[in-house]
Amino acid sequence: MKKYSTPLIDELEKGPWPSFVTEMKKAAKTNEMSNDAVGHLEKCYATKVGYWKHGGIVGVLGYGGGVIGRYSELGDEFPGVAHFHTVRINQPSGFYYTSAAMKEICDIWDKYGSGLTNVHGSTGDLVLLGTKTDALENIFAEYSSRGWDLGGSGSALRTPSCCLGPSRCEWSNYDTLDLCYALTQEFQDEIHRPMFSYKFKIKMSGCACDCVASIARADMSIIGTWKGDIRIDQAEVANYAKKGMDINAEIIGMCPTQCMSYDGKEIKINNAECNRCMHCITKMTKALRPGTERGATICIGSKAPIVVGSLLSWVIVPFIKVEEPYTEVKDLIRKIWEWWDDNAKPRERIGEVIEMKGMRSFLEGIGQEPIPQQIKEPRKDPFMFYTEEDMVGFKAKEAEEKKTGKYKF
Amino acid sequence: MAIPQRKTDIGPPKYDQFLPPAIKKNYGKWKYHEVITPGTMVHVGESGDKLWTVRVASPRLLSTATIREHCDIAEKFCDGFFRYTTRNNVEFMVADESKLEPLKKELTDRGFKMGGIGNAISNVVHTQGWVHCHSACTDASGLVKAMMDELMPYFESKPLPNKVRLAVACCVNMCGAVHCSDIAVVAVHTKVPEIKHELFKNMCELPTVIGSCPTRAISPDPANKSVKINAEKCMYCGNCFTVCPPISIKDADRDGVAILVGGKVNSLRSNPKFSKLVIPYISNEPPRWPKAVAAIKHIVDVYAANARKHERVGEWIDRIGWERFFSLTGIDFTFQSIDDFTFMRDTMRTASTFKW
Amino acid sequence: METAELQDKIFAFCEAAKGKKKLKEKDIIKGVSAELSLEADVVKKAMRGMIDVGRLMYSYGGGASSVEIPSEEYLREKGMIP
Repeated sequence: MKKYSTPLIDELEKGPWPSFVTEMKKAAKTNEMSNDAVGHLEKCYATKVGYWKHGGIVGVLGYGGGVIGRYSELGDEFPGVAHFHTVRINQPSGFYYTSAAMKEICDIWDKYGSGLTNVHGSTGDLVLLGTKTDALENIFAEYSSRGWDLGGSGSALRTPSCCLGPSRCEWSNYDTLDLCYALTQEFQDEIHRPMFSYKFKIKMSGCACDCVASIARADMSIIGTWKGDIRIDQAEVANYAKKGMDINAEIIGMCPTQCMSYDGKEIKINNAECNRCMHCITKMTKALRPGTERGATICIGSKAPIVVGSLLSWVIVPFIKVEEPYTEVKDLIRKIWEWWDDNAKPRERIGEVIEMKGMRSFLEGIGQEPIPQQIKEPRKDPFMFYTEEDMVGFKAKEAEEKKTGKYKF
Repeated sequence: MAIPQRKTDIGPPKYDQFLPPAIKKNYGKWKYHEVITPGTMVHVGESGDKLWTVRVASPRLLSTATIREHCDIAEKFCDGFFRYTTRNNVEFMVADESKLEPLKKELTDRGFKMGGIGNAISNVVHTQGWVHCHSACTDASGLVKAMMDELMPYFESKPLPNKVRLAVACCVNMCGAVHCSDIAVVAVHTKVPEIKHELFKNMCELPTVIGSCPTRAISPDPANKSVKINAEKCMYCGNCFTVCPPISIKDADRDGVAILVGGKVNSLRSNPKFSKLVIPYISNEPPRWPKAVAAIKHIVDVYAANARKHERVGEWIDRIGWERFFSLTGIDFTFQSIDDFTFMRDTMRTASTFKW
Repeated sequence: METAELQDKIFAFCEAAKGKKKLKEKDIIKGVSAELSLEADVVKKAMRGMIDVGRLMYSYGGGASSVEIPSEEYLREKGMIP
């Protein structure tokens, strides 16, 4: 095996944080592809540019995603990375593994690929970095026969992902792991066979802490929340005070809705005015707990800046029950896709299409009523549409008022 | 060995087979948790059961050799169960407190770093960079490694007013919520792309390329059977390169990084926020990007010295004002920090109530 | 219409677009079902059958996915032709 001199990236083996260069070199000891990847990276560091070409047409028969083609411009100089495709393996909900399962994943990858991985990629897949085109069908057969499927790529439903939810968190307002699994199973076709105008991401967080950043990077963000009163254990409140917490400064004073008070003994919460931001609950984990009528808020549209700026997801459905078999959520997803499919141009994310066609078109398309919880503030311009139906409605309301002698605004 | 018969559309294995027994038993019935050290926390169930978690740093790019090491540790202390986090850390969990210290000792002996829980700097969300991406204008992994070497005390032990979430994107495509981080590094191009006209016809669709430009800088070039780019309108986003490979935007001397601050994704106290641009350009300086690293360290230090307890970077800046952020950090304010893309009307100040 | 005949029509539809327009699944389904007055699902099923055996394939380029007629190289790689 060729030995590369790598003075630049060797600098990244120094220092306390674990080194990805060390990882690449570990794999390079026994793997020709990784060895060339090390040399290839050193060259990038020396010249300050990358050499990977655009993704190409690679994949497994019948699927339109799950493998990302990657070729180097420097295939002659570094034959081990001439083909260096990525394979996305759909992760289990919550990123839990057993050593037996993980070792099997490693064994297959050592046999066919570079031995390099990302655990995990940004979307959530377990990413296998670097293999050749002729190994792809074997890789798929080996993994799928052992219960592992590919994730999504291209103009498809991307692999759904979730926070660890009820498995190890007291704040989860629905079963994120189970919903993630159920949606992934329900929409296998949409994951493997790109049929959309562009990518579509679904991320599930159990509470407003949003540990999977769903509000910022999922076309559909399903964020757990509750109705009803925050549960208070006043004895534990006293314990926090005794241990030195300045409850008035750290909790009451930082409550965004000012719906709490503390008299030196007990915390009182005006729950009707609480917006469930989670600040107090996360700081007083032993004393405060979310209410018991649990569900989720569904928000739509977030994405990174390309093409005309980043978006955060918009509140569409303020509260939805999230219970097996999740029919309501699944039906809503289908309606959303149908509207998107009818209205999108190529490479338009749903948030962009909503901006183009208008939120009203979207809400009507999926059968949602307008409600104040959806907005930060009402429109500030007077340029609006009145449909014939709207006018009939306004006039009918006024006619009714004349009859009853009572205004209804 | 024969290749087994493939199966399609089976999806991932069901998660429950990978859950440790203590988690299965207390699933959905956890009562509270406490952070013991930046590397350790304990969850307590309504049943009274306790589960200790140890969080370990990972470079995200892992060899199978290191993953097997994770497996060995899990087998030795955790009945073979373990997990990864959304920020690519590794977590080992024990239900028996007597295993906690031996687990931590073994991790220390093997050179693993524990930390990142609570008011700390956890692992950096990042993209592929030169390691594996075609549109990278820097190396994300290298930047992250250099940053975290410098910020290690904030991962392992040194407390901050609140958590600080860092992210690195190796181009403006920003795979991975970079745009809502306390401190985000985004690699940028700074030059108008060049077009290999002779390849355009065979590799690109004219309407797609024209449509890909957010500033409408691209128009047809019939003489070359290609397109031309209006240099006065181009903001170097590279989206045209994504849809059309013969358009080249890489430039070794001009590609660099920008720094954005003040984003967050949770709704605690205040709503989720985008990160905002404060440093428009720092040259790519592989292998260790000293200026970019120093800038990040400096921003973290100024935040740590000035923010109130529980304030995230963006909340601290909202309280003190951006003019104060620039004066406290000494960062030069530039035209690039004034939005001239889509958000100008929402981001300019419309009152005389600013600070000197 | 027999599936084989429908699949020939789908193939012809893709061939006509070759080198001119990248077809998405949706374009083929909408185009062929309008041309032959067939249910979209029937066309989709027939098209999927062709993809499963390599008569058509999913492709990716320019940031989006499409469906096209496979190259000989692809067919050789999948063991469809010697």
